[in-house]
Amino acid sequence: MPGEKQATTELYKRTLVAGLWNENPVFRLLLGMCPTLAVTAAVKPAFTMGLSVIFVLVCSNIVVSFMRNLLKPHLRILMFTLTIATFVTIADLFLRAFQPRMSEVLGPYVPLIIVNCIIICRAETCASKNNLIVSIIDALGMGVGFTLTLCVLAGVREILSTGAIWEIPILPAGFVPWAAMRMPVGAFITLGLLLALVNAVTKRKT
Amino acid sequence: MSKIKHFIQQSWLLIISSFCFGLLIAIANAAWSPRIEQNRIYKLNRLMRELLPAAKSFELTVEMKVELAKGKRVKSNIYKALSDEGGCVGWAFNCEGPGFQDKIKLVIAVDERCEKFFGFKVLASNETPTIGDKIQEDYLGNQFKGVPAGKLELVKTGDEKRIDSEIVAISGATVSSEAVVKIINLSLPQIKEQMKEKGLIGNAR
Repeated sequence: MPGEKQATTELYKRTLVAGLWNENPVFRLLLGMCPTLAVTAAVKPAFTMGLSVIFVLVCSNIVVSFMRNLLKPHLRILMFTLTIATFVTIADLFLRAFQPRMSEVLGPYVPLIIVNCIIICRAETCASKNNLIVSIIDALGMGVGFTLTLCVLAGVREILSTGAIWEIPILPAGFVPWAAMRMPVGAFITLGLLLALVNAVTKRKT
Repeated sequence: MSKIKHFIQQSWLLIISSFCFGLLIAIANAAWSPRIEQNRIYKLNRLMRELLPAAKSFELTVEMKVELAKGKRVKSNIYKALSDEGGCVGWAFNCEGPGFQDKIKLVIAVDERCEKFFGFKVLASNETPTIGDKIQEDYLGNQFKGVPAGKLELVKTGDEKRIDSEIVAISGATVSSEAVVKIINLSLPQIKEQMKEKGLIGNAR
């Protein structure tokens, strides 16, 4: 019995860590590229997007895990989309009510979480096959992994494009901002460089 | 009968879930929509106050329709800016039109006779960061202060400090600057005409 308990704890740990590094949705699976490129011009909107994704991911995984034995195979994608769309709408309404500025900055990218591959991927590969606890841990791991990735990317771009991070100036006054880093070109270059860095680190480890 | 049974067997989960999710969204919407509306009004009031600092309050006077293109009409709310004594110190109205990336929504303020601009503020836009979104900065906005409320012309080079109907475009954001001028040029004459028809200009006090 203690062995079984240890194996379960090990499974939970593995599931949680997978989203942070080994199966990081952005750096390892290359999922959710649309918000990754679009909302990482500054850390605040990136963090807000990350929190919204965590909320939708956790809620949809809970619901999908609950109904996993009742799902008809040919209707499962429809059910996933319906579930995700509900929680995205709630997240969108919440942001419009309590974080109006962030809601304006994020614009259409909050409603677009509905078509975020990460969420539908986790519903299909994890929540529809595992129990509630594993599904929640998986959602938290993936969500936090996604949020951290967005924040790292946004941090690099915000520092170089404004000399500040979280809107707090950190570079000396003489720093000339790189305007290109706020534009799509900056997003692609930063993402490419970070992917190369992550690949190099992973190769060295193995 | 068997067809109906088959249909229910296949889709009962979908039907029940749709109902439950719909209810959940309805509850969230009912709970937060007053706050969302309050945020919208707060932002509009803040922008109108920045444009018309002499105003103590704003009164929604009338709703009008403005034709942006053939057959395409948008709603515009006309607000009367009232001083401490209750006199009219100007008018503000919202209007919108296509920008470079998405719709640009503006609040435009004019004097009590609708003869002079007090300026404009951007209510919502999704223009390119660091380029098109410069329409929100003072460079463009300041050029409208005190300009006769008539047809405006966008020029690429000129003296931006001169108060006349020539508006100097933001370098690198010509399309967005042009969009702002076009929205104002299209909406203002229609608003003025409708205000005259309703007797709001001239006997505004």
